[in-house]
Amino acid sequence: MMGINAAVEVRNLDFTYEEGPQILHRVSFSLPQGSLTAVIGLSGCGKSTLCHCLCGLIPQALGGELSGEILLQGHDISGRPLAQLAQTIGLVMQNPDLQLVTTTVEDELAFAPENLCLSPAEIARRIERVLAWLNFEHLRLASPHDLSGGQKRLLAIGAVLTLEPQILVLDEPMSHLDQQGQKLVKDALLALLKEGCTIIMVEHDWQIATFADNWLVMIDGRVSYFGPPADILQDKDFLLQHNLL
Amino acid sequence: MALEAKNLYFKYPKGKKAVLSDFSASFLPGELAALTGANGCGKTTLTKILLGILQPQQGLVLLDGRNIAELTLAEVGRSVGYVMQNPAQQLFCTSVEKEMDYGLLNLGLSEEEREKRINYYLEYFQLSRHRKSFPFHLSLGEQQRLLLAAVLAMKPRYLILDEPTAYLDVYRRRLLGEHLQKIRTELVCGIIVVSHDRDFVGEYCQREVVMPGAGMVENHVDSPQRRAL
Repeated sequence: MMGINAAVEVRNLDFTYEEGPQILHRVSFSLPQGSLTAVIGLSGCGKSTLCHCLCGLIPQALGGELSGEILLQGHDISGRPLAQLAQTIGLVMQNPDLQLVTTTVEDELAFAPENLCLSPAEIARRIERVLAWLNFEHLRLASPHDLSGGQKRLLAIGAVLTLEPQILVLDEPMSHLDQQGQKLVKDALLALLKEGCTIIMVEHDWQIATFADNWLVMIDGRVSYFGPPADILQDKDFLLQHNLL
Repeated sequence: MALEAKNLYFKYPKGKKAVLSDFSASFLPGELAALTGANGCGKTTLTKILLGILQPQQGLVLLDGRNIAELTLAEVGRSVGYVMQNPAQQLFCTSVEKEMDYGLLNLGLSEEEREKRINYYLEYFQLSRHRKSFPFHLSLGEQQRLLLAAVLAMKPRYLILDEPTAYLDVYRRRLLGEHLQKIRTELVCGIIVVSHDRDFVGEYCQREVVMPGAGMVENHVDSPQRRAL
């Protein structure tokens, strides 16, 4: 059943990589508009695969056998071109090196909004906002490839934030970040939430994800829990049994 | 005996400021030391200098008393194992098994010994079921575990791990921490862990070397860990 005001609706999703094992098993959930959901689970449990499905990279770019339904803002994504989907949903990948394509920080931040054919004034507004969020004003002319691992991670996040997507998926955004970097990202996400953005954040470190509205706990490709973090954190036996603590 | 950085000065050709200036630190066999500091402060740069991948403009690195500028990368690599921040930059074989075997083969170990170490480390890091898999078909967390397994299997005298827990869940982080403690004491391995993971540093490291902030050139601070081991 479709959730009320659901920004993301996933129904009975099964996925198997070509010549590989089945990764997702009957995954179903519904995410309210303007909420932040943390996807929690051990490495290899299917978290990144789920992100790729939500953004249409699976099966369009990465192949594999997918069944079930994904609805974004009420619309089924099957058959919709990736470029069209990217106007609704933004993805920050786990590895920033896969995502940085230009020669300066400023160009990197401009790349996505330019491709949306936004006005120069609007592009400039978005760039300045993200530079301030990330405390990157002094790096605007630096080459992305000269940045440290943590700075690259922040830039890859910033480059997607300039899209101002209705739905934002971040795959382990806090890895490689120091405490200040983590706070910058958290504050930026909270600002986007206030604007109605729906955020899905994959995180293996549950302590970082306690500010999420909901946790979606995955075990071996299945959804084992969906709800507020406070509730599942009281069930220490469950978390210990699945090596999540 | 130590891996020592002495009065290092390093600036990238296009850099406006020095990344390291008059930086000195010693890392001892049998010690698990954390190298910490803000993003962009030069932690990864320092590890590359300690390995001889980058050459400092001033200062030197001594590996058990020998200046590494006089050693080849291969010679340094026999004593110092390195796991990079980004697993994708370090994997190049066509199967998990071959990736594990590559370093061991180059150490000239017997087939029996190689097989023993491969089995042990694949089992320990829960990768046995992926033995024949293509490494790039693994998740990033699994790739990181594979690299840790491959480098640990070589049993180097020193180990430099750049953000080794970045893609590890809490359970695998604990497995890694416990194994590092084991090789630190049993093999007297000197281990340097670059990390932002305060829990891991607090739990497993005996000493913390704090790098100054990005673009700053003050010397570092050595501090004992909050939990004595």
